Amino acid sequence: MSIEYNPKYMKHFYDPVWENFESGFWQGIKQRKLKFQKCSACGTFSHPPRVRCAKCKGDAWEWVESSGKGRIYSWTVVRQEVHPAFRVPFEVVLVEMVNEPGVRLVSNLVDCEASEISFGMPVELCFREVTKEWALPMFRKAGG
Amino acid sequence: MSLKNKACVVGIGSTEFTRNAGRSEIHLAVDAVTAACVDAGLEIDQIDGMSSYGTAGIYAAELAPDIDVARSLGIPNLRYFGQTPWGGGASCGTVAQAAMAVASGVANYVVCYRSLKPASGTVRYGRPTAIPAEYRYSYYMPFGFASPTMWVAMQAQRWMHETGATREQLGYVALVCRENALRNPRAMFYGRSLTMEEYLHSPMSSEPFTLHDTCLENDGAVALIVTTPERARDLKQKPAFISGVGFGTSYDSHSMTSFYRDSIGLPECTEAAREVFRSAEMTPKDIDVAQLYDAFTVTVPMQLETYGFCKYGEGGAFCQGGDRIRLGGELPINTSGGMLAEAYIHGMNMIAEGVRQVRGTSTSQVKDAQNVLVTGGLGVPTTALILTQGN
Repeated sequence: MSIEYNPKYMKHFYDPVWENFESGFWQGIKQRKLKFQKCSACGTFSHPPRVRCAKCKGDAWEWVESSGKGRIYSWTVVRQEVHPAFRVPFEVVLVEMVNEPGVRLVSNLVDCEASEISFGMPVELCFREVTKEWALPMFRKAGG
Repeated sequence: MSLKNKACVVGIGSTEFTRNAGRSEIHLAVDAVTAACVDAGLEIDQIDGMSSYGTAGIYAAELAPDIDVARSLGIPNLRYFGQTPWGGGASCGTVAQAAMAVASGVANYVVCYRSLKPASGTVRYGRPTAIPAEYRYSYYMPFGFASPTMWVAMQAQRWMHETGATREQLGYVALVCRENALRNPRAMFYGRSLTMEEYLHSPMSSEPFTLHDTCLENDGAVALIVTTPERARDLKQKPAFISGVGFGTSYDSHSMTSFYRDSIGLPECTEAAREVFRSAEMTPKDIDVAQLYDAFTVTVPMQLETYGFCKYGEGGAFCQGGDRIRLGGELPINTSGGMLAEAYIHGMNMIAEGVRQVRGTSTSQVKDAQNVLVTGGLGVPTTALILTQGN
């Protein structure tokens, strides 16, 4: 299954809002690039973004484009509708990024049957358009 | 300097638990506070403090704000008012704050309350209508990841994978809570039994959960009154002493979406556990009965681990068969039925049940219960209490 969006509810759910210190992430998404926050001083990645680095307290950041390679850390298959904006069933995944240590990202798994999902399964990034303005970072089975 | 036994719960009050209360959150709160005053033997006007809480991220008492409740009760002045954030995680924290307020002399009689009507009101938990204005939801809502059930399901799947816990083991949590509710005429599920067969064959809501893994949706309010042991001597009830309090956020804390830590467990519980046992000068072995926040079945075995009743990875096995957690077992849990089977009052009803165990008036009374652990919500910053006979 893949997540299906109901255009009627676009503005209710699909327009992200963010804090100033998170703009690097969302500006990246706008350009269809997945970028993560990396501390300029100690190299620690942080997601979701922070104001200061939790490790060295530095406040200078780089926004590094991800390779988009990840592994399934956890997931849920949503089978009971909570809002008509999202038709059930659909899969929500927590992806642990391979090249950005300590970074996990919540997203949807697309073009994959629920029964195929397993812990540690390799996945790769793809962008899916959800509104005229926004394509969101999603994942599909690697090599699929 | 310690808070141990400097304050006690002297009154508990509740409305009926129902699918449609037919009155507002303010009205329900007024009824619960009134009942708590009657229970304690206090005049309403003696209340001079209020400790309340709302939903996660919203620092307000939501639809029953303290001044509206006080106004409808005709309380002349609140010398203390405070709110604890983070939804159900706050439940025990309201009592801890009340204890601090009365022990320090800021107020004399503080009422803690929670009032909600998700069954018939306008705010239905788990039924989002739009992306909330708070920035953090942008990482979740656009992906349809939009309800507490889904958020906790994500944690549960990983925890079950790591520990080998099974759906049957979660089922025993639901069954034991239901057994307790069958003895409790106040419970929403009074008179409605549950079998393992029904549990296992119920349709999935968000894997690995079914309807039977998630708490009730109901209307109602519960209130508790906290004062000092000296003042308690003049009141009607046997006091339940507040021996330990614990708060915890741990590192990299999010509201229900703490998915970014090395281990996806419940480190905020580990912190709250350390504090609650330290302040009470107790260990898990001293606890006779526990009211473990059960908005979801899975949080019971996870808390058995984080509160130190067993090691990491053993929580599922602890619940297997139900014998260790039912009445007569080594650690009876959620003796009113908890939020899976009595009512969902954001944990306040579980504190009231903790008080009943100390008084000896529970419908599932643990014989000679001396020390009761009560915990707050999970996956959010959390709080805990140890209530005792005060000896």
